[in-house]
Amino acid sequence: MLGAAIIVFREVLEAALIVGIVLAASTGAPRRGFWISTGLAGGVVGAGVVALFAAEIAAAAAGIGQELLNAVILLLAVGMLGWHNIWMSRHGRELAATAREVGDAVISGARPLYVLAVVVGLAVLREGSETVLFLYGIAAGGGLSAGSLLAGGILGVAGGVAVGAALYLGLLRIPTRRLFTVTSWMVLLLAAGMASQAAGYLVQADLLPPLGDAIWDTSAVLTEDSVVGKALHTLIGYVSRPDGIQILFYLATLSAIWLLTRAVGGPVKPRSAAPLSRGAATPLIVILLLGGLGTGSAAHAQLKVRYPIVDYREVEIEHFSEITFDKPKSGLSNNQRYTNEYGFGPLPNWFVELGNEFRALNGENITYDATEIENYLQLTPTGKYWGDLALFAEYEQTAHKADAKSFIFGPLAQTEFGEIAGFGALHTLNLLFTRTVGNNSTEATQLNTAWQSRLLVNPLIEPGFEYYSQINQILNPGKPADQQHRIGPVLVGLANFAPYGKLKYEAGYLFGLTSATERGAVRWRLEYEIPF
Amino acid sequence: MPRPAPLSFALILAIAPTGAAAQEPAYTLVIKDHQFQPTEIEIPAGQKIALTVKNNDTTPEEFESTELRREKVVAGGEQIIVYIGPLKPGKYEFFGDFNPKTARGHIIAK
Repeated sequence: MLGAAIIVFREVLEAALIVGIVLAASTGAPRRGFWISTGLAGGVVGAGVVALFAAEIAAAAAGIGQELLNAVILLLAVGMLGWHNIWMSRHGRELAATAREVGDAVISGARPLYVLAVVVGLAVLREGSETVLFLYGIAAGGGLSAGSLLAGGILGVAGGVAVGAALYLGLLRIPTRRLFTVTSWMVLLLAAGMASQAAGYLVQADLLPPLGDAIWDTSAVLTEDSVVGKALHTLIGYVSRPDGIQILFYLATLSAIWLLTRAVGGPVKPRSAAPLSRGAATPLIVILLLGGLGTGSAAHAQLKVRYPIVDYREVEIEHFSEITFDKPKSGLSNNQRYTNEYGFGPLPNWFVELGNEFRALNGENITYDATEIENYLQLTPTGKYWGDLALFAEYEQTAHKADAKSFIFGPLAQTEFGEIAGFGALHTLNLLFTRTVGNNSTEATQLNTAWQSRLLVNPLIEPGFEYYSQINQILNPGKPADQQHRIGPVLVGLANFAPYGKLKYEAGYLFGLTSATERGAVRWRLEYEIPF
Repeated sequence: MPRPAPLSFALILAIAPTGAAAQEPAYTLVIKDHQFQPTEIEIPAGQKIALTVKNNDTTPEEFESTELRREKVVAGGEQIIVYIGPLKPGKYEFFGDFNPKTARGHIIAK
């Protein structure tokens, strides 16, 4: 009986947590009881139907019917949750304000409760159908008496519901004006986790490439088999050994919903990283991931192409410089920046660097400008697919109190494609989003694009060209003339002193293409890599 | 909870390609009396494989592996195909989610 109870509990837990969040998110809405119970009832009926036709579903679509059904259900729920957040970003503050004035009981407005009802129904359907199949299996197998089976099932359902209720009641203790912020964050994470689960099903059905098996492995710390692991799997999409594509789906969903809520929502909360101080429901890691997506007016971005290949078991020392040229007194001339970076690759797919940035504007004295921590997460095994892909994430802490701190985040991609005069060509693309936090931060998201194509003539000399652009606010990009665009030639090369390491260099000149861009800029980079 | 399963030697199938999928090497796993047969499957590392799971019991089972991130229900008397990998070399446990005590096995990727 206890065995049955535990298995039922684990199935019910997931649905119960989702219902708990949905209930909290719909606090104060009229007729919410009707919608949520409709969702629940629909889910239970649906679970029975799915369980009844389990064999037919599994055989459908050339044997991948089950995966398709799960993926469609999950993606549908992601859409609904995303829509809920977008709606709340527009109306949430009115709701909270009304609640403060009139008391929690009356919050009016046509909130899209059917959306949440559908989410509840889908969650119950998915988890419930497995519970039904399991209980049917024991009943048919005659392993347990009917009474024992019933008792086990009830105990399991009760346990799951109790955890969901505890979550709901815990959330209700949050003051109403903050509650919707917290529930919106939870819904966002829920949606991202579901998207990554959906990707997992599509990989299982062989419809999507995994893009890397087990990018990281935290199963030694926490597995999804444990109750805590299972709960986190539902709540924030925790996976101990994620496929690359699951990470991509997760991040893509997070950023899509986030950007849409920003774009649709009215003027957003006061500055100073409001979500950061909102306590437990906004884990720092999410801020780190999201940090890159919202940004600062013209946070300075280095004119530098980043490569997606991680140098595993290597230590790197790097020096990087850029000097601009323009009319004297334009403020654009003779701005110098120098960066020293120290990094190493502790894992085959992770490289981390610490950087110190100095600047001398208009030829003034050099001052310390910023400290930065950079992470490269390589998503695809080198050379395995048509291109190589990595995620880049940086935190920059400025030395000046008045300046905003920033997060920079985005994909790095590289592929070898085409040839000229018998030499192969290597192309690298960076799409980096910057968002500022802290003092004088803004709500803009800055986009920096870097493109480099070079001919693989000889490791010592690889000529090519580079293109850089900067759009200070992607939701309001302005005229092309207000954006920064530059293009120019570059030389890249490498001298190998094995076993003592490698020396790499890059040198380029960039012509400004718009009036907002300096007329010219020189950049160079020297890097020494030592294997360990 | 599950009844004690008598050992059954009748259905120990060799790990033989089933021709279930066109390109991927194919393997077969049989569920009988809430147990997997065989309990160990050796596959090549770095290559995607198609695993057919046949359920010879009358009750449903769910083929599940946390380590492989796979879960798929197999109705009684039916069979399913699960695509696995490409895997890094190592040992990957799988189990029957409805009878986790008896239905256990692992895949070894070499």
